Amino acid sequence: MSSVKSLPLTSTDQEALQSAVIEVCEHAYFVFVEPCDAPQFAALVEEVRAEKGRGPSGRWLNASVAFHGASTGQVEVVLPERLGTWLVVSLLGLPADATLKDHQLLDGVGEFANMVCGAWLSKANETASFTLEMPKVTRMPAGWAPGSTPQGDEQAYRTVVVNEMPLEVRAR
Amino acid sequence: MQTNSSETAGMTPLNVLIVDDSATMRALLYRVVGLADLPIGAIYQAPNGAEALKVLETHSIQAVFTDVNMPVMNGMELLREMASRHEWKDILRVIISTDGSRLRREEARELNVSLYVEKPFRPEVVRDVLCQIAAVDVH
Repeated sequence: MSSVKSLPLTSTDQEALQSAVIEVCEHAYFVFVEPCDAPQFAALVEEVRAEKGRGPSGRWLNASVAFHGASTGQVEVVLPERLGTWLVVSLLGLPADATLKDHQLLDGVGEFANMVCGAWLSKANETASFTLEMPKVTRMPAGWAPGSTPQGDEQAYRTVVVNEMPLEVRAR
Repeated sequence: MQTNSSETAGMTPLNVLIVDDSATMRALLYRVVGLADLPIGAIYQAPNGAEALKVLETHSIQAVFTDVNMPVMNGMELLREMASRHEWKDILRVIISTDGSRLRREEARELNVSLYVEKPFRPEVVRDVLCQIAAVDVH
């Protein structure tokens, strides 16, 4: 699914996407989210890149959730693996140094994207009903990093800072 | 709390069934249910509606917390099946889902769902639901 039908890009959608991330992070993970602009995001991406070689922390995860109903599209969340681990550990109330099995990490990050997608759809279109598909989580190749800018086909795009780490979210 | 302790002392332990395809969400709900100041008997888990039905067939359950979007059998299909079975009429039904649309909520109401909780949810919400069950049980 590469395009959203019948929902034009609006500033309301952009705000709704950011509100969705904030709501999920604050309600489920008890962590504050700060918006960040492209230069700030790029600097944080560089910090993640600098972590490469120290375990898996330099790798990125892409979690996407497709939806259909009143409109069709998908929400994608891109985040460093270290942030994904931290989110899952926080959600489950595990010790900060807990080690996750790979399936736990991918399932937890998928659920994060699922919640962001659901929250965004509720905010962007309160009356319509949507069906969300199962989240798909991909570990990006070593050396890959997000470009800090929208790719041009998004309905909404936001970059934020969560626990001092970058997170990019886009809706298409 | 003392009042709770005395109220819960005579209560039959609650058996709870958590239905969600995400192991993370099941683990979270398991933890939250366990934190409630109530006598919890057993907490069962199922990754979809079909597996949940197997648990319902073989165990005494007082409360079901279910997601909506799941593979194999989704939460609404599970609730429809539950509604068709007289012996399950007293089980408390709670939906916990990212889908908070009005349509889905109306559908849930028709299926005797007591509470519709949108993800992300605060853990206290689940605890409060269990306390409601306790209150009904006591009075």
